[in-house]
Amino acid sequence: VIDVREEILARLLEVVATIPNIKTAVRNNVDLTREHLPAAVVFDGDEETSGSVDLSHSPDTVMRIEMTPEVVIVQQADEVGSDITTLRRELIKRVLYDATLIAIVNAGRGGNGAIRYIGCETDVGWMRSLHGALRAQFIFKYMLKPGDL
Amino acid sequence: MQVDFSVMYDDVCHEIGVPAVLIVDASTVNLTVIDDTRPKVLPAGSGEVHDVGPGAYARIAELTANNVTRDEYLDAVLEFNGRTWVVRSYELRGSPNGEDQGWVRLLLKEPAVGR
Repeated sequence: VIDVREEILARLLEVVATIPNIKTAVRNNVDLTREHLPAAVVFDGDEETSGSVDLSHSPDTVMRIEMTPEVVIVQQADEVGSDITTLRRELIKRVLYDATLIAIVNAGRGGNGAIRYIGCETDVGWMRSLHGALRAQFIFKYMLKPGDL
Repeated sequence: MQVDFSVMYDDVCHEIGVPAVLIVDASTVNLTVIDDTRPKVLPAGSGEVHDVGPGAYARIAELTANNVTRDEYLDAVLEFNGRTWVVRSYELRGSPNGEDQGWVRLLLKEPAVGR
């Protein structure tokens, strides 16, 4: 069995766990507390086939998939803006240049996969201290071979 | 009948208020506050972070009687219920007898550590 989507998500969690100063790296955990922070949460996100699905072809036909997982960075600190910016920088670098992720989607030289950073959104507010969350979105393009699942 | 709401506020403070120390610059003021620290949830992308939003109600008349003016609220240190906070902002709650006889809700934060 080869499930590229799961391989990407599992590796993504490993990658975000290496970001300096991240205390908690979890997947799809929607209930965090102060004790988790600074935290990085990988949300599985959506995926879709790229282009129209040709119904005349066999269901085994290889499809190009674009999946868009999200990574949320959360921190509480007086200087939360600077902290979040630093964590974002480390996140983007580590995801885009991770050799394992590149190999999983076959994004190397001559490959047909790709990893790109789409952008981010931020939320701020007050709790015991200044709270900041940054939702970064990536796109992973890979070839889905239904027969491998 | 004219109602003096400050008497009612004093009764409320007597029942549920706790002793507090407000430090403004080098001056220390003893007063009574009502702990308004409440659960708070803020968004984190598709998830949420659960914590508290610390706060306290104080009587403006009591602050004024202790020579604490409104421009001194910000950055004052407030100690009560075993914790120490810094006033980051405040909200005037008003009163039928005028805002100076009402409550101020002090919005608090943890003191900065190591910054």
